[in-house]
Amino acid sequence: MIKKTFKIPDMTCSNCAMKLESLEDTLEGVKEINASYHRLEMVVEYDESKLTDEQIITAVKRKGYQAIAA
Amino acid sequence: MTYKKRKSSIDPVIIVTLGVVFVAIAIALFVFQPNLTSINFASGSGVMSQLIVAFITGITTGGLSCLAVQGGLLASSLAHQFEQDYLEQIVKNKRKKQSSASRSNSAFPIFLFLVAKIIAYTLLGALLGWLGSFLTLSPMTRAMLMIAIGIFMVGNALRMFNVHPFFRYFSIEPPKFITRYIRRTAKGTDTFTPLFLGALTVFIPCGITQAMMATALGTGSVAMGAALMFAFTLGTSPVFFIVAYLTTELGSRLEKFFMRFVAIVVLILGFVTLDGGLNVLGSPLSFQNLTRNLISSENISSSQANSPQVIADGELVLNVNNGGYFPRTLKAPAGKDFTLNLVTDKTYSCARDFVIPALDYYELLPDTGIVKVTIPAQKSGSTLFFTCSMGMYTGRIVFE
Repeated sequence: MIKKTFKIPDMTCSNCAMKLESLEDTLEGVKEINASYHRLEMVVEYDESKLTDEQIITAVKRKGYQAIAA
Repeated sequence: MTYKKRKSSIDPVIIVTLGVVFVAIAIALFVFQPNLTSINFASGSGVMSQLIVAFITGITTGGLSCLAVQGGLLASSLAHQFEQDYLEQIVKNKRKKQSSASRSNSAFPIFLFLVAKIIAYTLLGALLGWLGSFLTLSPMTRAMLMIAIGIFMVGNALRMFNVHPFFRYFSIEPPKFITRYIRRTAKGTDTFTPLFLGALTVFIPCGITQAMMATALGTGSVAMGAALMFAFTLGTSPVFFIVAYLTTELGSRLEKFFMRFVAIVVLILGFVTLDGGLNVLGSPLSFQNLTRNLISSENISSSQANSPQVIADGELVLNVNNGGYFPRTLKAPAGKDFTLNLVTDKTYSCARDFVIPALDYYELLPDTGIVKVTIPAQKSGSTLFFTCSMGMYTGRIVFE
């Protein structure tokens, strides 16, 4: 398991953070996601053998946001 | 054959949608009936004006704002649930041919969701009003609260405009365990789920709802706080219902489109609240007090602005009407005490809650009658500001 931070520059409210955290339920290999609108970022704890950065970025994009690996 | 059958029957969703809209309008008309002949924010009752503003805010920007922040998660989860229900029903209907029944089932949970939401927010409004009653011990406390609420609203509007990263801290982030719990509950499919989700939306209020909650806190009254949140949430319901049913994609699109519109409304409401707070504080820096000189000098011929006032035995008269105080500027002799007669005549607006902040004077006037106030001697050239307790109606006494 590793923890990685992604910058999400186009979050507009704290509910965007909640939408991003819902990826916890759909992305296989994710243990926990903590998204913060205040810091415009999300910290993902995931199993790197099951999931890649690119897959996370793509999943975030499907939610309507841009993710940049910090 | 199938097409014909669908066309001949009215979609129950449309009926329920129209029902919600009509019920919302009917309740609003019933609630605001005493004021229907004079729906005027400047001259109507302060309480009614607040409720009307709350309802209109709900039905316009509030509904869209709620949609933007709550619709994305809750409405989509409900819509997904409906889709599943609908598909299941279609399989069953191949045998039973009851397609219309399946549609009414899908509309019902949204209705339950909104009912629960209205009840939850009304109770929240009552709670906030009750909490506010402890804070509104004096007009000064109320003024400070109004200023704080105004700053919160303006800060939130600036956050929505993305002016500076600092303003993001004006948005309250719900605790993770709450958002996680709501998200996981949203996966349920029973009838209880939409009711529960509707009630849980109190924990994820949108920006404009937060502003309305702050206003409910400022009322300092259980009944008023509940009525304010009820009017607002009722207003949000038709938009929320229609869009929650129509599509889930619309939520994210509208979110971006309406964010600036909502920000403008919150900004205006914020400045109005801030200005009201400054008025109750008796500050000469409020917008009304700053512009009064300008307006009164332009209307120099106005009899009400410059006339009257001195009556026999050194007494002055101030008429307290539903539309405010007349004259708005009183001239009084400096250096000696005098009596100010506050005259009400079927006055039901908040103008009755008369405040002179500098003298720490506060009085709820009778709706009809005369109340005498002794004003102590003031220096020549000084000004005493007076206002209603909500900072909506103001005036001043100039000493010469």
